[in-house]
Amino acid sequence: MSIIPTFSCRRTSQAAFALRGHLKLAACAIALSVASATPSMADQQIVIATTGGTWERQMREHFFDPFTKETGIKIVTVSGTGAENVARVKAMAATGKVEWDLYQAGEIQAASDLHRTLNEDMTAFCSDYRADKDLLADACNRSGVLFGYGTTLMVYNQESFPKGGPASWKDFFDVERFPGPRALPNFNDPWRVMAAALLADGVEPALLFPMDIDRALKKLGELRPHVGLWWKTGDQSTQGFRTGEYVVGQIWQTRAAALRQEGQPLAWRQEQAFLVGDRWALIKNAPNHDNALRFLRYFLNHPDAQARVCEALTCTPARYSAVSAMGEAARATLPTSPEIFNQLIKPDAAWINANTQLLIERWNEWNQQ
Amino acid sequence: MTAFKSLYRSMRRVLPSITRAGSWRQYPIGLSLILIAPLFLLLGFGFVYPVAQLLGQSFFAPEFGLGNYRRLLETPLYLKVLVRTVTIAAIVMIAALILGYPVALAMARIRRKLSGLVMACVLLPLWTSALVRSYAWIVILQRRGLVNDLLLGLGAVGEPLKLIYTQSAVIVAMTHVLLPFMILPIFGAIRMIPPELEQAARNLGAGQLSVFIKILLPLSLPGISAGCLMTFILALGFYVTPALVGGPGSLLMATLIGQQTTETLDWGFAGALSTVLLCVTLLIVVCFRNVLSNNRGISNVA
Repeated sequence: MSIIPTFSCRRTSQAAFALRGHLKLAACAIALSVASATPSMADQQIVIATTGGTWERQMREHFFDPFTKETGIKIVTVSGTGAENVARVKAMAATGKVEWDLYQAGEIQAASDLHRTLNEDMTAFCSDYRADKDLLADACNRSGVLFGYGTTLMVYNQESFPKGGPASWKDFFDVERFPGPRALPNFNDPWRVMAAALLADGVEPALLFPMDIDRALKKLGELRPHVGLWWKTGDQSTQGFRTGEYVVGQIWQTRAAALRQEGQPLAWRQEQAFLVGDRWALIKNAPNHDNALRFLRYFLNHPDAQARVCEALTCTPARYSAVSAMGEAARATLPTSPEIFNQLIKPDAAWINANTQLLIERWNEWNQQ
Repeated sequence: MTAFKSLYRSMRRVLPSITRAGSWRQYPIGLSLILIAPLFLLLGFGFVYPVAQLLGQSFFAPEFGLGNYRRLLETPLYLKVLVRTVTIAAIVMIAALILGYPVALAMARIRRKLSGLVMACVLLPLWTSALVRSYAWIVILQRRGLVNDLLLGLGAVGEPLKLIYTQSAVIVAMTHVLLPFMILPIFGAIRMIPPELEQAARNLGAGQLSVFIKILLPLSLPGISAGCLMTFILALGFYVTPALVGGPGSLLMATLIGQQTTETLDWGFAGALSTVLLCVTLLIVVCFRNVLSNNRGISNVA
């Protein structure tokens, strides 16, 4: 507000001298009014697209507000679902009017060509962190900066299985030994469901990709009559557990942890859970490019705040020091111990991205049978 | 109060004559154009332009040609979902008509105070978001929901029934959400029928039923067709309710378009799906109008 108007006014008035004298004042006035409308937007804020809810509340408390306090840069948030945000970024790029700076993309999406055309190549930014041994492997790469990892895992109701619940995806599909309705996700991203079916059918985890879709759907066909809930949103999966819509399910760990916290008799299996990370992406031609980089640096340099956020959200933060800064109870829920971590299923992003259309079309078709 | 009443009476006399076709000639053409310009600008920039963009993309993305349409026609899935969408919309329309007509009739014929109460009952849900109303149906229909608890408590069933996440749940919830759009036009039409006509028919010896069939029903047809058209078109493009109360087996066109816009980000194909849905909708509306205008006295509707 203070520097820019005078600057642009002087520049404009130099140009105005070349014009007729009486235009000078008018030109300067216009420059002033235009400039005074933009500087606070151009220089002192960052626009971040979030998924709202608890995520945003936690981030505001541990990152956004402290960052504003330290730097004076305001953080404005816009919220939508993850997929909606990506679609809006694509639309902004298509119309050449980018209004946001940062958003979060799923790890799989972040590896796609589209992601790279929409977002800035972060290689140069990451070079500062190449020697940082405290960061998880690949936490900073050309697609963006890792926010954290979450898992999608198998949960079951302990009261329904007093003699011990299902232990693997094979048991998940075994309705004789573990009777009761099942829950599976149905949010247009079917690879997790198909992967669980393949694992249950005896496919080795290392050989999951490229995926045998026919085999997966055939196996799923056996389970279909027993699926009580195909959940679309996270809260459907929590509400479904509370009301007994299912007794064994594949849900997000975040939601499972929330259910445990409210005292539900929920147990989970982390072996062969699906590991998916989220990444900060910096949109190409972002209006507050430099501030956004500053925020990402701030984010990476505050392991304690990362720990607090991940305690609340049940995620695995991007720094080892952040993992050790988490409370005992929260750390116990993380899949970071080597024997569990090695069993986690890590998706083959390249294969999934190359087959998005095929996956969704086959999934839709199977569902309509 | 009496002044208001007489004003209302004269309005009722004048209104039909204004709405009659051809009355626009009473205004100078320039004034008409100026008056209508803001609406056209708003529709042009806010609606026609973006829709045209999306539809245009279906021919140009990823490359120029009819590739998107070929894919749509060659994959049985898409035609199947289209047929299902039209079927469900038709069922919802008929259900809303059957449930809505008696309510509209009651609202138009009972005493002022009571009719205001019924009106409030119809309108209040309209002011709450469709999202909330859809969630309400989840609460009612879920495994341990109101209906199942009642049935279990009465001993009518031994196991909770699977009511939610089915196609019937979609139909029930959509009918409920769209009901006001059926009731209000029919209510308007019945209100315009002078009660004297019914009295005259009764005087001439007509029974309750034949008054309804020969007087009320034909005269309220304009409202029925407007209500049917509105619920049908809204049902064709419904997104929130089917997504929440429907299972994966009850996929509708809007959900497919949503998948292509936000998940696969294939806007060319999303455009093709939208174009097909739009064309089918227009075709049905035109057929609808033609069928109705063959009936006497309804040509001034829709």
